Amino acid sequence: MRGLAAMLGKEWLELARSWKWLWVPLVFILLGIMQPVSYYFLPQLLDAAGNLPEGAVISIPLPSGGEILAGTLEQYGIFGALIIALSFMGAVSQERNTGTGALILVKPVSPAAFVLSKWLAMAALVAASLAAGYAASWYYTVVLIGPVAVGNAMAGAALYALWLLVVGSSALMFSALWKSPAAAAFSALGTFAALALLTSLFPRQLAWSPGRLPAASRELLLEGAAGSLWPTVAVTALCVIGSVLIAVRAVRAHPAD
Amino acid sequence: MKPLLTAEKLVKSFGGVRAVDGISFAIGEGRCAALLGPNGAGKTTTIRMLAGLLRPTEGRIAFTGLPERSDIRAHIGYLPQSPSFYGWMSGREYMMYAGRLCGLRAADAKRTADELLARVGLAGAGRRRIATYSGGMKQRLGLAQALVHRPKLLVLDEPVSALDPVGRREVLELLKELKRETTILFSTHVLPDAEELCDDIMIVRDGRIVVQGSLPDIRERYREPVITVRTERDEASLEWVKRRAGKAGGPVVSALPFEDGIRFAVSDLDAARRLLLREMADEGVKVARIEAGYSTLEDVFMKAVST
Repeated sequence: MRGLAAMLGKEWLELARSWKWLWVPLVFILLGIMQPVSYYFLPQLLDAAGNLPEGAVISIPLPSGGEILAGTLEQYGIFGALIIALSFMGAVSQERNTGTGALILVKPVSPAAFVLSKWLAMAALVAASLAAGYAASWYYTVVLIGPVAVGNAMAGAALYALWLLVVGSSALMFSALWKSPAAAAFSALGTFAALALLTSLFPRQLAWSPGRLPAASRELLLEGAAGSLWPTVAVTALCVIGSVLIAVRAVRAHPAD
Repeated sequence: MKPLLTAEKLVKSFGGVRAVDGISFAIGEGRCAALLGPNGAGKTTTIRMLAGLLRPTEGRIAFTGLPERSDIRAHIGYLPQSPSFYGWMSGREYMMYAGRLCGLRAADAKRTADELLARVGLAGAGRRRIATYSGGMKQRLGLAQALVHRPKLLVLDEPVSALDPVGRREVLELLKELKRETTILFSTHVLPDAEELCDDIMIVRDGRIVVQGSLPDIRERYREPVITVRTERDEASLEWVKRRAGKAGGPVVSALPFEDGIRFAVSDLDAARRLLLREMADEGVKVARIEAGYSTLEDVFMKAVST
């Protein structure tokens, strides 16, 4: 893996210089806070809207803390995945299209290190953003709504981390396969949206698919159990590894335009 | 002459098109060689195969003193036609990054970066973002990053073609300095650039090398007597040029018309001169200028790359 440390440093710096280290966690934090806060203020909001008949009694049962966190994670599953896919949709193809990658890959470095440095940067950003956003959501949930079962809440977040990671990895893979960043983002998001939909239609047959991760996380938070998750986790890990390997192959076969 | 790099029967096809069609050459250690040819001749493809960016369809590239299949990238410094950098990095940061990629430790990378930036005249601009650099500055940064691991061979793709006259001059002067220390191979479609810098030239056309050798050698080998006639643009003269075009015979070996005249390659200068002068007098050709002498490298180049 010659060049890995140097390239990782470059990816890190690029995330900082493009402000991704700031705005991606910030979006996660905002999404995370909105969930408990908007539930808490829902009665007042409805009241303030003011087009209810005189004397109407608003009685909305406050959801449990687990429900709020499940809602937060659901937001991350959709908007978070969108942000990650959009952030890394051109990771490899832009380097090819502009020619910056050619200048790097003629140096005595390994293509695997080139891809892996991008993957590690992506994984770090996913982990940091999810941790920051989830912590904020958790804090407001506990303050405004009520206590949360710690173990299940952690496990639920871990499943979503895996979900974001597999979406990000496939965005990286598609960016190594295809010239157009938009096509890469669309493919990555489309694949996993379709997978999640199919898994919800055929839960038994597709219990092993990464598409089960969102539903499993929700079950963990709401019901405290989600059955055996190992097949899903194992298959997802294989998808991540496979994506990285395919991206490495693509870079090796076709380092520059 | 000890060859540093040997390319044997290189072929690269894209789809069904053979962009490079069996090119073989050797670059002597310490020499400066040019791949010379019109656009689309296969120069860039050849260079990208040497740099390791393209895998040859056939043929092989060998670096003297290295085992086959070893990583020759460690010994080659490559500069593409218009290098792109990360615009958000400063020139100095990029140089340090390039150094680290070539296996230098951080401290060495820093020292090398400063040395090379000073050498290419970018010491003052080292801390500025590359996005603010001019074309000439980017090209000089490109040269500096190609030198970062002290390569045995410097491979440059059209190093001066995209630059304005001032930038061109700067880069040419730098290359003149560099050729004293390292072996250089560069591509160009401009003959004077090749003549100014090179020891050896290879003229490429349609993916093949058509003329190859050292400059004095080629001058000697392809030297032939020529008579160039320029005429006024009246009907009789144009008519004569048209009739004479392509017609050989006697001391005239070939006749190639151009914009306002015709060029004769001849076997015997005196005989041809007598013959042509008489002919032109008889036909009432209005000669503007007549010149007898020997073919230049330009003639060799034009002949080699035109059908």
